[in-house]
Amino acid sequence: MPQPLDWLRHGTWTGFDGFRHMAAIEDKAGAKPSGNRPAWPALPAVGDLSRVAVLIALVTVGQYLYPGFLSAENLRVILTAVAGIGILAFGMTMVVITGEIDLSVAGVAVLSTVVGGLLIATGSPFLIIGAVLLCGLVLGIINGILVAKVGISSLISTLAMLGIAGALANIFSGGQAAYPEKIAEFMWFGRGTVFGVPVPIALFALMALICLFLTRSATFGRRLYATGGNARAAMLSGIRVDRVKIAVFAFCGVCAAVAGLIESARLGYINPAAFPGLELKVLAVTVLGGAALAGGTGSVFGALVAALIIGVINNLLNQMGVSFYMQQVVTALVILVVVMPGMKHRKFVK
Amino acid sequence: MTIAERASARPLAVSGILKDPILWLLVSIVIVGAATSPHYLSELNIQNLLRNAALVGLLATGMSIVLITGRIDLSIAANMVFATIIGVVVTAWIGREFDVRWIVRGNTFVGSPVVFIAVSIMTGVAIGIVNGIGVAYLKVASFIMTLVSLTALRGMGYLATNGAPFYLKGETFNWLGDAVLLGVPVSFALFIILVAVTHFFLTCTTTGGRLYAIGGNETATLYSGIKTKRYIVTAFALSGFFATVAGLVFTARLKSVEAALAQGYELTAIAIAVIGGVALGGGTGSLWRVLLAAVTFAAGLNLLAIWGVPTWYQNLAIGAVLVLAVAMARFQYKSQH
Repeated sequence: MPQPLDWLRHGTWTGFDGFRHMAAIEDKAGAKPSGNRPAWPALPAVGDLSRVAVLIALVTVGQYLYPGFLSAENLRVILTAVAGIGILAFGMTMVVITGEIDLSVAGVAVLSTVVGGLLIATGSPFLIIGAVLLCGLVLGIINGILVAKVGISSLISTLAMLGIAGALANIFSGGQAAYPEKIAEFMWFGRGTVFGVPVPIALFALMALICLFLTRSATFGRRLYATGGNARAAMLSGIRVDRVKIAVFAFCGVCAAVAGLIESARLGYINPAAFPGLELKVLAVTVLGGAALAGGTGSVFGALVAALIIGVINNLLNQMGVSFYMQQVVTALVILVVVMPGMKHRKFVK
Repeated sequence: MTIAERASARPLAVSGILKDPILWLLVSIVIVGAATSPHYLSELNIQNLLRNAALVGLLATGMSIVLITGRIDLSIAANMVFATIIGVVVTAWIGREFDVRWIVRGNTFVGSPVVFIAVSIMTGVAIGIVNGIGVAYLKVASFIMTLVSLTALRGMGYLATNGAPFYLKGETFNWLGDAVLLGVPVSFALFIILVAVTHFFLTCTTTGGRLYAIGGNETATLYSGIKTKRYIVTAFALSGFFATVAGLVFTARLKSVEAALAQGYELTAIAIAVIGGVALGGGTGSLWRVLLAAVTFAAGLNLLAIWGVPTWYQNLAIGAVLVLAVAMARFQYKSQH
């Protein structure tokens, strides 16, 4: 006989998928067939809503402690700070949904901007920004080919790509920073505004919409989740799994290029040694967003909320005067606390 | 590899060793090195090379043990730095309790090396156990658990030191970092001994066999009545131990430790483990080949350094070799099946 709180313990109450979604890695073997639930999420899952609840609680605490917390100025600060990492987390989430991982985002972001920096002398913003985006796309496609065609585990191939891209960035630039300040269009990505909204925030929102559309669209979204859920079944049902993976890696590369563009324009210089350890921060946001590294689950909406949670926490801790290093510790603990519940009923997890 | 296959492959036949592609890679690197540079085979350079190999090899050994159980430990580099920092801080604190100043002018640590080493190893193993408990009992994915502890340990390392380096002074550190026994640096001798002991542990004891079994088929292992959780905690504790020993060797060589050291070494350790044939999925891998891979890795980097290749090109080469090695293994696997 079902006990009153069974659904809380096992997360099996029909229609309440919260705890399973909050689990960072679904135990693929133990996952139940999704029943009448569509294979791809049509609406934000309840797990996403629980993350929203965490976000609202944090914002409430912030507003209570610091009355200026929700001022337009502070919101601008929070969102601008989190825009780059958020965009990367969107790309990473889509890669993780297909059951792969992309550790090369920092390398791709750096190499793309450095390639753009080499073209500063031409003075053509179209050429520079085009080169940055193209470089991100090409590196992403190479990642995808190594994973989907050559068959190297994505952990290894993108790890190698991280090293290679970082090395190439230093070789191309001679280790020197480039200064794009004269290129107004380049700087616009970090410091400009659209209808009063800073460009990083506008791009963050735009990328969120694009990714939401891609993951929720009936064709591509279904292929994405099917590939991650069971690649063999997806292949047998006519989905070209390798193409899906290449597309997703290419998209993640473009996300990295855009994030690199935003961050280097904000700083005002292109640094070939930028973003050390960025991939792990992005992964943390992705994981906090509920994407399962085993593939087949995760949502862009979750990643969006997770990026906001991280932004709000960092902003709050800054206002409290907590040191940057203490913030790392707190952020790590928050991730653990948000990710941990709902894992008890699984037999084991890798 | 299943247990049965592993058992049949257990005798380490000379012909088997000679078939190993890594060995031939190492031999060819050494031949090219000897042919192109008169300094490559000099005593000093070989010692230098072996010290580098010992550092990355110790990390890779710990990583391999965790990989064999099908998990991953990203926190080893942070652990190795944090454990040594805590060793210094706690030893200095113990000294203060006994009215001895063990941190003297200029942040120089002159305290008891025995206490320092004991505290460091206890810290490292404790962190490993915490990781293991998180993975096995709280069921957080190992990737996430160790990513979280990586972030937290890096932050706490800065908090414990305020970002300033500690300098270590003492005979023990000189010995551990610089001394040479019978032509082999102490750190490398330590590495060889630890690998030999652990290799024996993994291949010739029940516990070791169970670690492979967990990586091979966890459900089957659980259903055969083996308490898998404890073995996973053991694997992480061993990984923490190896990380700390690597940290001790590293700090003894640098004669200093600071929170920002060894960024990204976890990725090098994964690379060496994979080149050494440890499967990321678990269940396969031999520490003997990891040792070979570590020496090969260090020999290759050393060769590039002797040629005067800038660090950036060296990183490029590491990445390229990693992709090539795995791609070749992949094609070999495909052609066999």
